[in-house]
Amino acid sequence: MCALRSEEMILNVGPQHPSTHGVFRLVVTIDGEQIVDADPVVGYLHRGTEKLAEDLQYVQIIPYTDRLDYVASMLNNYALCHTVEYALDLEVPARAEYLRIIVMELQRVASHLLFLGTYLLDLGAMSPFLYAFQEREQIIMLFNEICGARLTYNYMRVGGVQWDAPPGWIEKVRDFTAQMQKKVPMYHQLVTGNEIFLNRVRGIGVISQEDGIAYAMSGINLRSTGFNWDLRKNRPYSIYDQFEWAVPVGKNGDCFDRYFIHLQEIEQSLNIVAQAVERVPDGPIIGKVPKLVRVPAGEYYRGIEGARGELGVYLVSDGKDKPYRLKLRRPSFVNLQILRKLLIGQSMANLIAILGAVDIVLGEVDA
Amino acid sequence: MPDDVTEGQAERTAAEKQAVAAKPAATDAKPAAEAKPAATDAKPVAEAKPAAEAKPAAAKPAKAAPPPDPRVVAATAVAEQIKASLERALGPGVVDETGAFKDVPQLVIASGKWLAAARFLRDEPEHAYTYVELFAGTDYKDKGYIEVALYVQSVANNRFINLKVRTPRDDAKLDSLTGLFPGVNWEEREVYDLLGVVFTGHPDLRRIMMWEGWNGYPLRKDYSPFENIPVKGGNGS
Repeated sequence: MCALRSEEMILNVGPQHPSTHGVFRLVVTIDGEQIVDADPVVGYLHRGTEKLAEDLQYVQIIPYTDRLDYVASMLNNYALCHTVEYALDLEVPARAEYLRIIVMELQRVASHLLFLGTYLLDLGAMSPFLYAFQEREQIIMLFNEICGARLTYNYMRVGGVQWDAPPGWIEKVRDFTAQMQKKVPMYHQLVTGNEIFLNRVRGIGVISQEDGIAYAMSGINLRSTGFNWDLRKNRPYSIYDQFEWAVPVGKNGDCFDRYFIHLQEIEQSLNIVAQAVERVPDGPIIGKVPKLVRVPAGEYYRGIEGARGELGVYLVSDGKDKPYRLKLRRPSFVNLQILRKLLIGQSMANLIAILGAVDIVLGEVDA
Repeated sequence: MPDDVTEGQAERTAAEKQAVAAKPAATDAKPAAEAKPAATDAKPVAEAKPAAEAKPAAAKPAKAAPPPDPRVVAATAVAEQIKASLERALGPGVVDETGAFKDVPQLVIASGKWLAAARFLRDEPEHAYTYVELFAGTDYKDKGYIEVALYVQSVANNRFINLKVRTPRDDAKLDSLTGLFPGVNWEEREVYDLLGVVFTGHPDLRRIMMWEGWNGYPLRKDYSPFENIPVKGGNGS
């Protein structure tokens, strides 16, 4: 028996490849079409946020968090503020909590829409991208109205938020939510039932539940394996316990499940926003916070459910107005580790489908 | 302060230092003190520290006066429970310290038992700490050690604890946990890259954020970004 002679070849995907969504390099060893080995290389966007934070006061760190996961900045802002509030045992006024919930869930919708658009673009479908960005643009305009920025918001503060909603803003959010809720079925019609799309993503990049937990994955990647773990439910923070909503979980842990949960989460987030806009109370938007925030000596860790998984802030304080150490637990960074395992044995064409579905943002991976 | 105290001993806590000051004879028992007597010349700096640290140590009892947070009390009790269980299985001296911050129990594991303790807590069904949430290193320059913190969740028992381990700054070395939790692979690489802790048994210990050839470990407290401009350069891979 004589097998066909084949030769291994090393292929560099990235760092400037469009489907890597940033500066991410993947050194792939291929044998024909088969991936034999894959070595992700990260760090091209490393700015040393953790080191920089050691020389900054807490309020000054907030704009730096905008640049981590730059498509979900509101959630990053919240992760930091929440940890400081937790350390200080600070009460946040009700109106501020509602405004935070509204912007955070809208942000999650915007982030998931970006995922849908770019993921399908990676797989060769052009039009869903245009639809997704149309709706995302409306959310960005709403954010622009409330805080004056389209992407890097710097909106939250320790103890509340910086700006109150301008007149009519809440109504605009209500209208948008109602309109967007009607649009979700359109996405299902457009994409979910598409035969070509299903063949590309079904049974591809399967993560088992054991692997999901062992690899410390979180967010949709973990929930796609059928494991119900959402920090908004499992370790409640803010006022999420006052709303009625469900945690969508997958079954097979494949790329299709991850895609599908993104759409379901959009529905659930809109659900939360729709309930929140009806109940926004009047009152102050920021609690009684000293001008110079000093965190009592000690160490604190709080994780929130970010758009991509558990977004945690680990804070070591020595009682000064600056952190002694600030470690950011970036979900994309942790989730990306499983990539090598998922890729080995797959064909080259599946690489993009798998990488896209893990849903990374390089600003967050490299911090 | 006896003048045969070496830099290695400056690592200990303020309380220990006071004890040392009280009975100078005890310092001779430390092999480190005898191993490098040459280092005694560099003492003036280290000698100034115990005096500075003695103050916060003295101020502590006054701070402890308000009633303890019930969350901390409950969490410390959990930590004590886990400590007892660990010592039953792995012998005494596994846990150096127990405590809690807010509602999170905290155990400082002896550095030699790091891997064994993590394995025990993962595999024993009464603990089942399987899901790693955070892995972070911190440089405590004044205390002379680097601390690695592991926040781990027991999904089965719905408990969340913090395990810590300390390793001296000048010979930072720990057992790798990658065999237990594949998810700490990159986190350990990051701690190695930015803090210079060598993880023995790690399958792929390379720098991850900086490139190979970078000088120094950026997250260490004595690192100066302006003096550590890389000289070797180039991406090795």
